[in-house]
Amino acid sequence: MWLQIVTYISFIFIIVASFIKVRRIAGKPLHLRWELYPVPHEKGREYGGSYLEQLDWWTKPRRRSFFGMLTYIMREVLWFEKCYRNNRGLWCFTYPFHIGLFLLGGWIFLLFVGAMAMIFGVTESIALVTAIHYLTFGAGAAGLALSTIGSIGLLIKRSIDQNLRLYSSPADYFNLTFILAIVLSGLSSWYFFDPGFAYAREFMKSLITFGPAAPNPAMTIGILLLALFLVYMPFTHMMHWVTKYFAYHRVFWDDDPNLGGGNIQDKVEKLLNQPVTWSGPHIQSGKKWKEVVSGSS
Amino acid sequence: MKRRINTKEIGCNPHEQLLTIGPESLVPFPDGKGMDNTPAVKSLTTEQRNHYECSLDGIVTLRLLKPKTKEEESKLVQSFLDGLRKLLSKEDNWTFLQPLLLSLDYCAKCQTCSEACPIYLASGRQEIYRPTYRSEVLRQIKEKYLDKRGKVLSKLTGNLIELNWTTIARLAELSYRCTLCRRCAQICPIGIDNGLITREIRKLFSQEMGIAPKELHESGTVKQLNVGASTGLTPKALKDIIQFMEEEIEEKTGKKIRIPLDREGADILLIHNTGEFMSWPENPEAFAIIFEAAGLSWTLSSDLGGYEATNYGAWYDDVQLARITYKQVEVARKLGVKKIVIGECGHAHKALTVTADRLLTREFNIPRESCMPLLEDIVFNGRNRVHLRRNDFLVTLHDPCNMVRLMGIVEPQRRILREISSRFREMEPHGVDNYCCGGGSGFSIMNSMNFPDWKMSVAGRIKVIQILETFKDVLDRGIKKYVCTPCSNCKGQMRDLFDHYGLQERYNIFYTGLAELIANAMANKKEPMDYALPI
Repeated sequence: MWLQIVTYISFIFIIVASFIKVRRIAGKPLHLRWELYPVPHEKGREYGGSYLEQLDWWTKPRRRSFFGMLTYIMREVLWFEKCYRNNRGLWCFTYPFHIGLFLLGGWIFLLFVGAMAMIFGVTESIALVTAIHYLTFGAGAAGLALSTIGSIGLLIKRSIDQNLRLYSSPADYFNLTFILAIVLSGLSSWYFFDPGFAYAREFMKSLITFGPAAPNPAMTIGILLLALFLVYMPFTHMMHWVTKYFAYHRVFWDDDPNLGGGNIQDKVEKLLNQPVTWSGPHIQSGKKWKEVVSGSS
Repeated sequence: MKRRINTKEIGCNPHEQLLTIGPESLVPFPDGKGMDNTPAVKSLTTEQRNHYECSLDGIVTLRLLKPKTKEEESKLVQSFLDGLRKLLSKEDNWTFLQPLLLSLDYCAKCQTCSEACPIYLASGRQEIYRPTYRSEVLRQIKEKYLDKRGKVLSKLTGNLIELNWTTIARLAELSYRCTLCRRCAQICPIGIDNGLITREIRKLFSQEMGIAPKELHESGTVKQLNVGASTGLTPKALKDIIQFMEEEIEEKTGKKIRIPLDREGADILLIHNTGEFMSWPENPEAFAIIFEAAGLSWTLSSDLGGYEATNYGAWYDDVQLARITYKQVEVARKLGVKKIVIGECGHAHKALTVTADRLLTREFNIPRESCMPLLEDIVFNGRNRVHLRRNDFLVTLHDPCNMVRLMGIVEPQRRILREISSRFREMEPHGVDNYCCGGGSGFSIMNSMNFPDWKMSVAGRIKVIQILETFKDVLDRGIKKYVCTPCSNCKGQMRDLFDHYGLQERYNIFYTGLAELIANAMANKKEPMDYALPI
């Protein structure tokens, strides 16, 4: 039962840590605009244009394209397009690495669905359950294979490519090795003990029912390593899977104009009431922003 | 062989230069252009080297004096750390804290950004000019000196950086080896913005330590706030220039135009970069011709703050940025205009339209827009129609980063050029993917010691190559070619690049603004005006 408890703790930890991370980032003050084009929600301006191209733009309705934004995001998530276009050598490894991890995320979800089917007594005689088992097999096998290839490739590339090596810290190698160890233990468990992921599904069932389970040694090591990793990850730059959303939606694509009388104006007025604290000789430190900006140097 | 300089080295060997740039390391020009024999960067004199901090790459933009005692050095280090702490605090740096933290804490160091940087490429991929180098230095200083248990953890993570005067001085200089064009951010797979980090480093030095290039601060924002313009143009001198412009317009067009000045209640306050009045008066003249022909209600201002569009604070200091913004809108408020239109100045576009958007409230939040959509409207919908295809020469378009990549004004200027020019061709890459001219973020007006050499040899090199590539089939001197450059600072850089590389003499290539080309294409004039020709 101890392995289940460790798993619970680590999953709760990563969920809480991610939530705190999101709250901390989202809670930062409204910043000055700093967008970067193309901004994909600009409808009909796929070349990188903005609503500022219109005469008297503040009088015109804004045309936003949810589809345009979605397409842009999907291209990035499913194909890593920026990396593909601009750093093909890295893409060859980082793409399988990340897609492998996404597939493993899907694999865990499918294990959950399969375990729920077992709990509710739905057997493999039903085609849907069989399909789920096949999908679980496909996602697990492909996910483990791709993330193994990707993490080995990234480790080698980071070690031999001078452009990466010069900037890689021991932590960067450690992180990749950590992930590789997790996926290798998963791969061993699958290959030697659990070709259909039946044990993995049993373990998932035990997590849902708080019941017993008997994972094989490789699986035990894999689960332990994953649990440790989930506790470790929030303290690293690997949280970029969370922060990337903010970098785009709250900075590069944050083009909401301050048209007066709205929420933005209220926030700006509050911020202008804060004191300027910098010590440069030209700055009237201690005065409020609104006092400083309305006077001369 | 090129030496790979790591981040630790930034604080080591204070008496040695980290990098020496020779012509052999620079990216070559296209074959057969005979321009590779241009000198790279002149060495400083012994006196200059002894006096000023130049241990980064032998270039001086900040004129930093070396500390004389250990105590003085400790004070400077402490001041730097205080500034860095403020940069990371929401009480002190609300203006850019969120974008900064998102970029500082999550870089995967994949180096995808490097190949997007024109300075890194032009320099022959010198390590210290890599977009991530200065960011990594700042990141390591933060982790080692500000984070809890940073000194212990830094040993585990291999962070060997040392914070001393050499590190600080080199980092300060290094923050002025990037034009803030943000091409690197545009291609980063996870949204890291090394351009922003560079600007924040500049800000730390200016706002906390009072360190900034003289051209940007004393002769820039401070002069603008006190005298009225960073060029030193006074209201009286402006009035004299306007009178001269009216005379020149009459001489060239046969039309008597009275340029409106300080006209209360006009619809539009037009603000130019004063560099136009001083160096290229044909640009504000062209605007006057176009606006008058279109029958617009508009005015210029001679009030302090009302005739200078530039805002160098955009490049190094949020407080100065905000002060200038308020001066500019205050003038518009007093005149009672309906909107401010910004002339051909890229950074002024971004500073006053976009960045200032979250500084101005209530009566100060006067609508502000680019001149591009207005010019487009005049060309296509105005009372005065231009004679189509009048400009029968080759034209290409330089995209100012601030106007295009950083605020999405991409097409109006293109639609105009396609309309008024029979032979318009794009540079590659163009639009939001353009290359900076190398004069961005203040470089075009920074001329300290040997910095102009670096600006010409390194910062502007890719743009020159791009122009030559664009016209490669028509380089013959007999064919006249134009680079339309709708930004005053880019134009300043083009002027220097064209002089340095002899593009006009060798290949008959000129640079000019957009308004000049429109005025040149207008049919209702006595004879061809040559407004496109720079004086």
